[in-house]
Amino acid sequence: MMRTDWRDHDWQLIHTAPQSPTLHMALDDVLTHEVGAGRRAPTLRIWEWAAPAVVIGRFQSLRNEVDGEAARRHGIEVVRRVSGGGAMFIEPGNTITYSIYAPQSLVKGLSFQEAYAFFDAWVLEALGELGIKAWYQPLNDITSEGGKIAGAAQVHRGGAVLHHVTMAYDIDAAKMLDVLRIGREKLSDKGTVSAAKRVDPLRSQTGLPREAVIERMIATFRRLHGLNDGSLRADELVQAEALALTKFSSPTWIGDVA
Amino acid sequence: MHGEYKMPGGKLVVIDLTVRDGRLAGVQLSGDFFLEPDSALDTINRALEGQSEHADEAALAASVRDALAADVMMYGLSPEAVAVAVRRALHREPAA
Repeated sequence: MMRTDWRDHDWQLIHTAPQSPTLHMALDDVLTHEVGAGRRAPTLRIWEWAAPAVVIGRFQSLRNEVDGEAARRHGIEVVRRVSGGGAMFIEPGNTITYSIYAPQSLVKGLSFQEAYAFFDAWVLEALGELGIKAWYQPLNDITSEGGKIAGAAQVHRGGAVLHHVTMAYDIDAAKMLDVLRIGREKLSDKGTVSAAKRVDPLRSQTGLPREAVIERMIATFRRLHGLNDGSLRADELVQAEALALTKFSSPTWIGDVA
Repeated sequence: MHGEYKMPGGKLVVIDLTVRDGRLAGVQLSGDFFLEPDSALDTINRALEGQSEHADEAALAASVRDALAADVMMYGLSPEAVAVAVRRALHREPAA
């Protein structure tokens, strides 16, 4: 397998109406598989959220990470994603989330650390155009002088790699800290004890509406790597809806690491 | 019993376990690390199950490493970090 370049691929954009948290989890599963099987061209998917959610990483303990009672009180659904990494607190309009479904050839020979930075180089460029000096902080964060902006996670399936990222556009820090249990040990090498202060969202840094930030990001990806407007195939959506119901909504999956 | 370790340059590694007859039982590894394939999580839990509560870090790390297939990918996680989290869990006073 030869290493490929972004421009060797016919990148497709998927940006649809808001979808449920479990459907988002399932779409990542299905689309990674489709790209790996060669049935779908490499794809950038921008997520729109239909409901608030806490998305925990594949290996996080449900009870250690989430205050279930607080989540219920705030009407927040808890879901588990297919990739490792940390918990994300999502409210519609408050985050910018995207997935890149790529052939593994794109990062062939790169270390994990290099592959994470590689997949988000276009985002650093877009943020720079918006006046934000941002950089990659290993292992998997995009950060700025003001604080953390985003967290990334990758998972490899067959011939494909999924790289997905959640960026903080705005944040209700009090609600987040009510729902997520963020331990001291986790913050021990972050240089601050305040979890809320760790995140500096894009809204305060750009002064732009969320949609404008997304537009800029899409334009930058298109300019650097090429990007055609695409859509979900009907059979992909059917498959994802089935998985959302059977797997990603099931207590067995959500509580897989209790 | 519960132990946490933030691996330097890595991710949070968490161990929950109990001790029965001097041996580790009900071991559960969790955290915000990256591990593939995801079935390796159970492999690590099983490798720790039944270890002596007096096993040192080197022995615990070796048992984890030996249980993992060569193609397992770890990012922000290592057998040594798992061993530290286990020892931290064991050093806690058991709940009265």
